[in-house]
Amino acid sequence: MLRRIVRFAGVLAALLILIGTSSCGTSTSPARQVVGVSMAYFDDNFLTILRAAMADYAKTFPGVVLQFTDAQGDVGKQLSQIQNFVAQGVVAIIANAADTSGTRSMTKVARDAGVPLVYVNRRPAEDTLPEGVVFVGSEELQAGTLEMEELARVMNYRGNVAIMVGELTSNGAQLRTKAVEQVVAKYPGMSIVEKQVGNFQRERGLDLMNNWLTAGTKIDAVAANNDEMAIGAIMAIRQAGIPDGKILVGGVDATPDGLAELVKGTLAVTVFQDARRQAKGAVDAAVALVRGERMDRFVWIPFELVTRDNYKSFLNR
Amino acid sequence: MGIALVFEAVGWGVRGASFLFSGQRLLVMVLQVSIIGLLAVGVTQVILTGGIDLSSGSVVALSAMIAASFAQTPTARAVFPSLTGLPVFVPVTAGLLTGALAGLVNGSLIAYTGTPPFIATLGMMVSARGLARYYTRGQPVSMLTESFTRIGEGAVPVFIFLVTAIIFHVLLGHTRYGKYTYALGANAQAARVSGIRVSRHLMFVYTIAGLLSGLGGVVTAARAASGQAGMGMSYELDAIAASVIGGTSLSGGIGRITGTVIGTVILGIMTSGFTFIGLDAYIQDIVKGGVIVAAVVADRYRHRGKNA
Repeated sequence: MLRRIVRFAGVLAALLILIGTSSCGTSTSPARQVVGVSMAYFDDNFLTILRAAMADYAKTFPGVVLQFTDAQGDVGKQLSQIQNFVAQGVVAIIANAADTSGTRSMTKVARDAGVPLVYVNRRPAEDTLPEGVVFVGSEELQAGTLEMEELARVMNYRGNVAIMVGELTSNGAQLRTKAVEQVVAKYPGMSIVEKQVGNFQRERGLDLMNNWLTAGTKIDAVAANNDEMAIGAIMAIRQAGIPDGKILVGGVDATPDGLAELVKGTLAVTVFQDARRQAKGAVDAAVALVRGERMDRFVWIPFELVTRDNYKSFLNR
Repeated sequence: MGIALVFEAVGWGVRGASFLFSGQRLLVMVLQVSIIGLLAVGVTQVILTGGIDLSSGSVVALSAMIAASFAQTPTARAVFPSLTGLPVFVPVTAGLLTGALAGLVNGSLIAYTGTPPFIATLGMMVSARGLARYYTRGQPVSMLTESFTRIGEGAVPVFIFLVTAIIFHVLLGHTRYGKYTYALGANAQAARVSGIRVSRHLMFVYTIAGLLSGLGGVVTAARAASGQAGMGMSYELDAIAASVIGGTSLSGGIGRITGTVIGTVILGIMTSGFTFIGLDAYIQDIVKGGVIVAAVVADRYRHRGKNA
């Protein structure tokens, strides 16, 4: 009996200390404003740049602290993270949607609690967003169009195109692919001969290209949904002993690795998605919404075409 | 084999060419699953003892990151700016040690604290993935030396996979190590009574599985010329599938490395075959799941009454 009382007292004491420290935490720094950020993935290359840029830029706002969580590509997990943020009393939430078609419930949670919500990089599938909810990102269709138009130009608007598709659930993969298909359909001399999923991964791109090459399909250009898969394609082409430039390869993202291939001349084209401007836009939007300022529901950051002619200006961006 | 024939038949219809009779394509088929194969050889031994290893995919990512960080060229934005351009054995050893260490932790937990293998390796699966991300805060590790990337070029991964498979085929079939492993899975109590040091042997088996995951990580990094924290995602499940398709019994004590190699190749045939016949990407995983289960059911029927 005595032991049980002691144990109970111990638990009680621990709880009191916890409550004490947490209330101390808030009372000593009343200006501290936490913004919860839920990222779709912590280990995606582009999203890592975006995340680092947000953390950097947030430092320019005194008192604003970003708290990052990793949804690991799971809509359910992301929704619980948003609910936790709300329960925790964050001033605003930035969400990089794990599944762009599953944003409705996250929007509702934030709206019901009256917490401003900023979607970044991946556009929610809804056509309109309610008051206090903003999207900051780029028009994914544009990326595919820029990539394929440049490839088509170099190909003289003639030849066979293979498409490497990213993750099927991602809005970026769906729209970039759609745009590539639309461009190819415009030119009678061109056709799509292969289209498979490479999940945005380099190894998968490599395997796909290997399979296509051994299947004997005649491919003049590969339009990949991102640079990583494009690099995989380049490695497969090189290992098959096909001379550089015989099969054009295009990507999207202009990652450092992608630009290195562009410099070598193995990657024909990539498209720059401005992670820093997206990050800045998202943090600015969150701060503006907290201050009660009115703003556009959609903030578009344009994609930019990168080729051998202009790559230098992208090396340090 | 039936699966290959289906692709052969459909392939003629779609492509007007043979699916199987192309040396190059057979190579690619095995090449793309050679890393899964390395993990499968490891997990087969773990399953033989009646255990399971869920951590192999994450350990691939962690060892790939660590190996890559010791294989960078001086020009790169290196993880260790003072440690670039090292001879190839440094990153390879680092990757293998990382894997072995993860396996040792798994094995120690299971053998000495009695933690169920499912839980111990589940913990490692989560932690190793976390460590891989933490190591460079999610940044990829690229610009690797040529001597390192050569490990992943051409048919080298296939060669590594097959040599590893042969080594463990011999070890399991013809040495005391193998006898103990089978004995443990068939009846741990009997094994203990007959004088096998069960705990020590269990730890050893998990360490070997970890070592093979580490090797998988090294080959993955070399192949992609990059170390990335997202590598090896759900490879552990493919490896377990390969092992089970190959006839390994999840209750332990029954299974062979030759079966595992066949299971691995079947996964490769499926991946290549889907691409060859141009099957819609949305449908591929649905079919793949069905084939995995069907392969095991068929195996059960063939061995009916044979205590399998």
